[in-house]
Amino acid sequence: MSSAIAIESEVAALIVEALHLEMTPEEIDPDAALFGEGLGLDSIDALEIALAVSRRYGFQLRSDDERNGQIFASLRNLAAHIDKNRVQ
Amino acid sequence: MAWIVTRLGYRVGYALLYPIAVYFFLSSPKQRRAVRQFQRRALGREPGYRDLFRPFFIFSATLLDRLFLVDGKRHGYALRIVGLDLLNERIARGQGCILLGAHLGSFEAMRAVADTGCPVEVVALMHQDNAVNVASFFAEWAPRQAAAVIPLGRPDAMLRAKECLERGGLVGILADRTPGTGKVTRVPFLGADAAFPLGPHILAAVLDAPVMIAFGVWTGPRSYEVHFRPFADRITMNRRNREASLEATVRDYASRFEHIAREFPYNWFNFYDFWEETGLR
Repeated sequence: MSSAIAIESEVAALIVEALHLEMTPEEIDPDAALFGEGLGLDSIDALEIALAVSRRYGFQLRSDDERNGQIFASLRNLAAHIDKNRVQ
Repeated sequence: MAWIVTRLGYRVGYALLYPIAVYFFLSSPKQRRAVRQFQRRALGREPGYRDLFRPFFIFSATLLDRLFLVDGKRHGYALRIVGLDLLNERIARGQGCILLGAHLGSFEAMRAVADTGCPVEVVALMHQDNAVNVASFFAEWAPRQAAAVIPLGRPDAMLRAKECLERGGLVGILADRTPGTGKVTRVPFLGADAAFPLGPHILAAVLDAPVMIAFGVWTGPRSYEVHFRPFADRITMNRRNREASLEATVRDYASRFEHIAREFPYNWFNFYDFWEETGLR
């Protein structure tokens, strides 16, 4: 398993756990939209994901990041961003 | 139009209010029905024409005042603030505070309070369409305030709210209705079940912030009363079963909001079928 896929499935598990989604991590399509269409998450879900990410990976997702639209666009993008910025 | 009114002054604007409000009143049968439906419940009797017209007049008056207040022309306005000490107590704790607002009275009156020396930053979460209107309105009229509106709908909207609370700031959010997409729960309100959004309560629970109810009502020409009332020091929820675990707090909100609606029935600005009784919406 390449490390990109490993982090993607780890983040998928984190999302499912943090939001108590009634699905398995494998069911999240890495390229599908997390918000709106696709998985249908809302901004409160995004907040919960951000809190879970900071607990697990030790860095904050911040609202003043201009790339947020992109970062939160899909599991793949979110996982890549976490991989790049994680401190633990 | 706005420019003319603010130049000509308040008296001219106020005189124009009657024809404007009469026009709104006569041309909005749906809204009239919604007001009648609300007033039957809130007043406990059949409303007369004066009762029905009054919210249209007050709504128009708040729009007029908005032009003056946004422009910083607070001269001649009387703002009475009730419960400021309670708000200050919470501000002093440094954890920020969530303010539950409603479509009752004027947001501008609350903003005016913030401008008169609130020691911390104040932001308002608003739905995209409103936010775009309000934001462009502020950008034009009062650029300094443009940053204070957070448009809902973007994934990072609640992150901005969280960061504001972390800086000890106040976050306003409307707790009496959603644009139709958000999660709601139906709880008793003025004698029948009505849908109230869960979002504000979930936000408070997730961020573990104290919550107050805040609203500013029109009490006469250029007179407003802004109220801050305690709601909850913290809201807890069971994450596995959010809706059920938050029902008690939403019920509590609805019963306090009912009390407020009865106290200030003519400031009720939900001009639609709030109980979805007749499919007027």
